[in-house]
Formats: sequence, C-alpha cells, structure tokens
Amino acid sequence: MEKNGKGGRPVSRAGKLWTMFWIMAKIGCFTFGGGWSIIVQIQHEFVDKRGWMKEEQIIDFMSVAKSLPGIMIVNMSVLCGYAMEGAAGALSAAFGLTAPAIAAISLVVYFYGSLKANPYVEKVLNGVRCVVIPIILQAAWKLKGKSIISMISYVFLAVAFVVCAFTDISKPMVIIAGAIFGLLVWRGKKEHGAA
Amino acid sequence: MVLLELFLSFMKIGFFSFGGLTMIPVINDEVLVHGWMTADEVMDIVAVAEMTPGSLGINCATFVGLRTAGVMGAFSATLGVMAPSLTLCMAAAHFIMKLKDSGTMENAMNGVRPVSMGMLLAVAVTLSQTTFWAEGAAMKLSDVHWNLVVIAAVCGVLMFRLKLTIPKTILLAAVLGLLIG
Repeated sequence: MEKNGKGGRPVSRAGKLWTMFWIMAKIGCFTFGGGWSIIVQIQHEFVDKRGWMKEEQIIDFMSVAKSLPGIMIVNMSVLCGYAMEGAAGALSAAFGLTAPAIAAISLVVYFYGSLKANPYVEKVLNGVRCVVIPIILQAAWKLKGKSIISMISYVFLAVAFVVCAFTDISKPMVIIAGAIFGLLVWRGKKEHGAA
Repeated sequence: MVLLELFLSFMKIGFFSFGGLTMIPVINDEVLVHGWMTADEVMDIVAVAEMTPGSLGINCATFVGLRTAGVMGAFSATLGVMAPSLTLCMAAAHFIMKLKDSGTMENAMNGVRPVSMGMLLAVAVTLSQTTFWAEGAAMKLSDVHWNLVVIAAVCGVLMFRLKLTIPKTILLAAVLGLLIG
C-alpha cells in the first residue's frame, strides 16, 4: 500500500517508522500534567500535517486508551502506531514517546537533591500545570465535529460530564455504558430510517 | 534475579492502574514490600515525575530501576510498566482496525465519542480545582490563585486565537510561571 507524506512524496516504511519514532519523542518531551496534551499533538502531527491517521481514529483510540489498564499515553501511542504501521509502528511510537522521560529521569536521579530545594523549579511547574487546562479544552473542542452527530450526542456528553466530575464511578464503566447506549440508540435510528 | 522482580512488580503496577496519580497506592505497595525504597522516597518520585516529561508510571519505573539495579534495572522496570500497553492495547488496536467498517462498531462509537468529550471536560474541571485553589483550601473566590488563572487564560487565548503549538505554549507557561507563578 502506497502511503504518502504531506507533500505527496512517497515515504518508505522504514522512513515512516523512523519519523514516527522522532515525532513521538518530540511529543514525549511535552507530556506534563497527565499527558492530555499528547492528544492534540498527535492530531496536529499525524492527522493535520501528514494525513497518516483519520480524525475520528484519535477520539476512538482516546477512549480505548483510557479504558484499558496501563499508562494512558503509552496506550495511546501503541494504538496510533498500530493504526499507522502495524506492530512495528506501535513499538516505534511507544518507545519514541518514553525515550525522553527515561533520559530526563536518569539526569534527575543524579541532581535530585539540588532540584528539589530550588524555588524557581517550583514556580516553573506552577506555570506548566496551568496550561494543561486550556490544552484539554482545546482537545475537546477539536473533537467536537466527529463526536456530536445529533442532539442525543449532547445528552451523552452532559451525562458523562456530570458522572465523571461528581461521582467516583470508574472511567472504563462510563465508556462501556456509552458504547452500550450508543448501540441501543443508533441501532433504533437506523431501523426507523430504513422503514 | 532483581531484574526479573523489577519487571514483574512493575508489570503488576501497570496492569492494576490506569495511570496518573491513582498509581501511587499500587506503587507504594510494591516498592515498600520489596524494600526498594522508603515511603518518603516514593513521595519524592511523585515530585520528580511532576517536574519531568512523561507519566508517573514510566518515571517511577526508571527511577526505582536505576537506583536498585542500574541501567538494566531501569530497562526491566520500564518494560514491565509498559507491558499492558504493549500486549492488551496492541490486541485492542488489531481488533478495532478489523471492525472499523462494521455498522455495530460505528453505532457503539457514536455513543463513546461524546462520552469521551464529557470525560475530558470533567478532567478540565477537576484540574482547575487542584490548580487554581491552594491545597485543602475552601473553594472561595477570595482564595483563587489569580496569577495562575492569568497564565492559563493568556496561554489559552494564544493557543485558540493565534494557533500557538503545544510545545511553544508549554515553554511560554514555564516562563510566565517563573515570572509570576
């Protein structure tokens, strides 16, 4: 299967895997605050810039990554990598993403004492934590087109929001409930349309 | 054998957690039982994980592995904590790609997509609470850290309006944090 880069240039498989590794490593440098920012970055790099993934894949994978055990951002990169280049793609994306973290921690282990006592480090972290909130809002906004397909979608959104914000019901349960109600609601719709 | 133990312990941590700060109790159990670290040191790792890129799980595995058994230890522990992603998620990805054109899958996803959006917005609300209010403080308007709200607002506007990329926005937030954080 011929796969093209953004400018329509053909990309070899090895070249693509290598590019995926480096892009994921770049993304891995900026995954502060629970890693939510990687969703927007993956979308930017692989959907908008290169067209290697489809917009709706991002949101489908996001819910799967969140519901399976393990680290959400590693799950996300495995899913995206697999979608682009199979098992090799999954490995390339997952190790790309974790490489900067491993490098950073190795440094920190040796300088931990002095970093911990530094008040400027604390201030920088305060700033970085703040920006995670607009990043999440942007991610939600960008996913709107593919997720909201009718008025019923707003009901799903609102119920999920309330349940997640105000109860301790586990996230996988919420996702599974969404899938079940989605099956019920939209299957009914299709039969109406056909009749 | 410590390499195998590191791998197995962190694999357990990976399978029984869903990332983020919810991992702390699970991590605590494993590393304290093995005597790899003290409870204080575990809280230190959490702080370290906050300061560096990457998730708590990966950072923790690297940190514990490195201190317990050097580079090979870091490698075993990190591979262990990634095991669920590399196995379960790989299988899930395969399954999803196979099913992507089926109507049933599409119907289920019609339900899952707005639910994911709702979950994401709920995360934003929870994070706002922990970020903008002092820890343990009552959520009164007078207790808001307005300087942090300003940082979030400035970065948000630049990102939405001027399409500033995420890495640049995070660097900007770090600089703003240094100035007024």
